[in-house]
Amino acid sequence: MTYQLSTKKTINSLNDILSDQQNDTKMKKTININLGGYPFTIDDDAYEHLKEYLDALRQHFQTYESADEIISDIESGTAEILNTRLENRTIISRSDIQAAIARMGTPEDFGAETRFEEDMNYGKSNTSNNKYKTGKRLYINPEDKVIGGVCSGLTAYFGIADPVWLRIGFAILGFGSVGVFIPIYIILMIILPEPKTAAQKLEMRGEPIDVNSIARVVEEGIEGISNTITQITDEFTKKKK
Amino acid sequence: MNNDINKTLEKTKKQLRRGVLELCVLSIISEKAAYPSDIIVKLEEAKMIVVEGTLYPLLTRLKNDDLLAYNWQESNSGPPRKYYHLTEKGIDFLSQLKNAWDELLVGVSISTNHLKNPENDLSIIN
Repeated sequence: MTYQLSTKKTINSLNDILSDQQNDTKMKKTININLGGYPFTIDDDAYEHLKEYLDALRQHFQTYESADEIISDIESGTAEILNTRLENRTIISRSDIQAAIARMGTPEDFGAETRFEEDMNYGKSNTSNNKYKTGKRLYINPEDKVIGGVCSGLTAYFGIADPVWLRIGFAILGFGSVGVFIPIYIILMIILPEPKTAAQKLEMRGEPIDVNSIARVVEEGIEGISNTITQITDEFTKKKK
Repeated sequence: MNNDINKTLEKTKKQLRRGVLELCVLSIISEKAAYPSDIIVKLEEAKMIVVEGTLYPLLTRLKNDDLLAYNWQESNSGPPRKYYHLTEKGIDFLSQLKNAWDELLVGVSISTNHLKNPENDLSIIN
């Protein structure tokens, strides 16, 4: 019994080893990239890993002065590490990327080490905390509109509780001024941009842009979608009846 | 509990290192114009740096403060590299920073002098 068990285990671990080897040698797509001026041929999965890493760095350094320069320096540094690692091999694998990342460090590593840098950099850009405040910007608000979303956009900009007051105001002015305010509304509708990204939606409301607030907007978006889906299904079932 | 203390110790050590990293980087560059990998090798020898990524933001900031400047130089094995050197302002800054560090050394050794005294030696207590 024990013997059987142990052989089973051996077979399992053998399978593990085999599948590991297969992972290393099985046919993979490769991509040609230019990293920091070095040409590389890189496995598909290694490329994804590298891209995720560089995106995370970009996110981490985005509030820094000359963030682009820091990122491009890090890219050159990473390229150099990879180049020395490759020696006579021709293709970068995922494990090469992992080794390079271990040397270069992740944003978590920097979190402890570069806080000092952050403090120095924040002092310059006049922001007092980790959030970078956006100036409020005027957008039309397509999520809450009667005609063009101008009133609700203005409401978000000025921080008024309910767009209905502005709408009443515009309506009265529209009729009262005998047609002067109607073109104004139309012009606003044309020139004000629609917020496309989560960050722009936050700008519309004048909220600070950080990971949490963006996550919230995205969640709201998903809720909106699921609400629409429920509405559609409701209508659909009604029609059926 | 012991774990917590180790964590705190690591954090404090990092902070100590970080505070003087700038001095070390400037001083390495003052010896000879250097590109990031040179600097990293020296910092690693001195056990001053844990991950390379820490160096790049520092170099960029020192450059933005006009303490450093760089030239592009061709390399045999790849694309051109940024070689950093100290500016006039940087040389002045480094000598003042070095003075401040020396003062700090004296201050620290005065403050911690009694630890060398066998009766108060912490390593014996531990």
